[in-house]
Parts: sequence; C-alpha cells; structure tokens
Amino acid sequence: MTEIPVIETDRMILRGPQASDWEDYAAFRASPRMSTVGGPFNRREAFQQFCALIGHWQVRGYGRWVMTDKETGEFLGVVGIYFPEGWPEPEIAWSVADAGEGRGLAQEAALAARAWAYQSLGWTRLMSLVDPSNERSVALAKRMGCEIGGTFEHPDFGTLTYWYHPGPEAQT
Amino acid sequence: MTQIPTVETRRLSLRGPQAKDYPNFKATFASYRSRYMGGPLNPYESWMLYAAEIGHWDIRGYGMWMIHDRATDETYGMAGGWFPAMWPEPEIAWFIWPEKAGRGFALEAVDAARRWLYREKGWEGAVSYLDAYDLDSVRLAERLGAKRDPEAVMIDKDDSVYRHPSPAKLRNSQLSDAIALEIAHYADPRWKPEGWALD
Repeated sequence: MTEIPVIETDRMILRGPQASDWEDYAAFRASPRMSTVGGPFNRREAFQQFCALIGHWQVRGYGRWVMTDKETGEFLGVVGIYFPEGWPEPEIAWSVADAGEGRGLAQEAALAARAWAYQSLGWTRLMSLVDPSNERSVALAKRMGCEIGGTFEHPDFGTLTYWYHPGPEAQT
Repeated sequence: MTQIPTVETRRLSLRGPQAKDYPNFKATFASYRSRYMGGPLNPYESWMLYAAEIGHWDIRGYGMWMIHDRATDETYGMAGGWFPAMWPEPEIAWFIWPEKAGRGFALEAVDAARRWLYREKGWEGAVSYLDAYDLDSVRLAERLGAKRDPEAVMIDKDDSVYRHPSPAKLRNSQLSDAIALEIAHYADPRWKPEGWALD
C-alpha cells in the first residue's frame, strides 16, 4: 500500500491516520463543529470516514493527514487533499478539533499541504470548497490568498463556495 | 501501511482492493442488489465506502478482499473480515457482482477467507449479519455450516445473525469435506448447464 508521507511544520507533525487516533477522531466527528460538513456523525459513520481517510491515499495517491502536536502528539484535526467521487476537482480541505482552534494551526497545516501538493504532485492549481456559513473557514481561505469563484451544488452538502488558491508561482 | 495478503484458491485470487477495481463495486452498490448491504448508494457514498474497505485493513489488520479470477483477473465481488465501530462482533462478509452470481464464487472465496481469519488472526469463530430476506446469503451461510443464533446481538433489529462453526469444529470434519466437494463441483462440473442462473 502507498506509504503516507510525513510532513513536519513549525508546531505539528502531519502523518497518516493510525488505529490509535480512532477515539480522538470519533469524538471530533461527533462534535457540533461538524455542522457545516454534514455532521455531527455517529461512531458508525465516523469509522467509515476514518478508514476512508486511509483508503483515499490508496485510491488517489494523495489524501489527508492527521494533524498532531509536535511536542505532545495531541490530535488537532485533519488536513490535506480531498477528492472523493462527485467532487468537482481535488480540494485542500481542513477541519480542526477543539484543541487545534484559535492558534493558526489550520493555516499552518493547510499551507504545508498546499506546498506539498505543488511540489510533490506537480499541480498548478488548487481550490477549497467552503460552506458559506462557515465563517472561520472563509476567513482562513482569505488569509491563504484565495479568491472566490463560483458555487458548487452537492446533493448531500448543499451549496458550497469555490475558493481558488494562489498557484505554485506565488509560493515563496 | 499494512500490506494486504493475497490468498489463492482453486479458481480465485483474493487480493487487496485497488482503484481500478472500483467501477464494478460502484455498479453493484448503485443497483437494487445492494438493498441487503446498506444500498443503493449514491456515487459519493459508494466511493467513500470503497475507500473505507481499503482503510479497514490498516486499522484492523484484516478486511475485505477483491475476488479475482486466477486465470483472467476479472473481478467477481468481495469477501473477508469486517468489523466497523458499533458492530457487536467481527463479521465474515461477502457480496458478488449481480451478473457473477450462481457459480460458487462466494462459497469458494468465503471458505478461504474464513480459513485465513481463523489461521492468521486466531479467530475462534465469527458471525455474518444477514438480512432474513437475502435468501442467497442465508443459503450460503448454511452451506458454510453457519447457524442462525437468535441470542446474538444484532446491528439492526431486522438482521439475522448467523454464527460460523469454530476452527475446532471445522477441522477434519464432514462439513469441511462437503464444502470442498461443493467447490470442486463448481470448478469442475460433472455436467455443463445450458446457462448460469442470473441471481
């Protein structure tokens, strides 16, 4: 199976999901934070999503990482490139747990994921799909230099807004 | 990552699910045949389930294999061990693409999967959660020696739980001989039917 790469940022290790992350992930998916991404989710739904994080890497060759605190190993959220069937194109997706909120960690992780996609996959464009009511994610998209595009209608998730990221030439 | 082992049988090769095998999975889960396994699913749901089938191997150390024809590499369905959150017990599960049913592939694959789980994972038994109306699967469970366990905890209230014989009960048993004989008849039939049953 594809080995999921490990990325080190200033404050985090981004790595593939492991069985030991399951309880943290289940609590994260059950939280009210999930209301803008189709949740909250019960354990049965969350388990499938958890396993699918790993399978996504195998099917696509890229996927999402678990964000962990470099010092403590604490679970902080999930970030990476998400492209399930029915998505218009691959997106940079981020989702932080309570412990990862308010410290700029989502931005740090999403920037690392974006740089990885441009460098390792050789991609030249990326977008993020954001629920317009998710103000914190809208603010993060703006901080990352994204420009608003059109909207995308998903049968399960409703109307989502395209945010186009700056291309690799804009990376320093 | 866990390397998914390959298991060979007389006609079949059980291998880890790969991206190229997805279209048949999607077609099956979009069809009415999937009504007994949580379907029909939309494309997003079926893709996420397929990704989860692969990730399950990494989380649990076992999972569902893709069933291939040894000679032609064609796929026929999936079989293996399945234990998501909130399942009362680890399960032996299977499904066959609708147009490939009736040729004994599920019997051959599930028999091999069960022996692998007993031998490599030390399982002392297993259940299969079936829909009581899914008579093809109920019959297959019975041919494999599983019996309905009315005491077992169910996932949904309209499930039937079939309990598989333990490794000790299968060893050198008349049941194992009967399973082997039935598989042999499918692989090398005494008479050739005019066509295959559709379902």
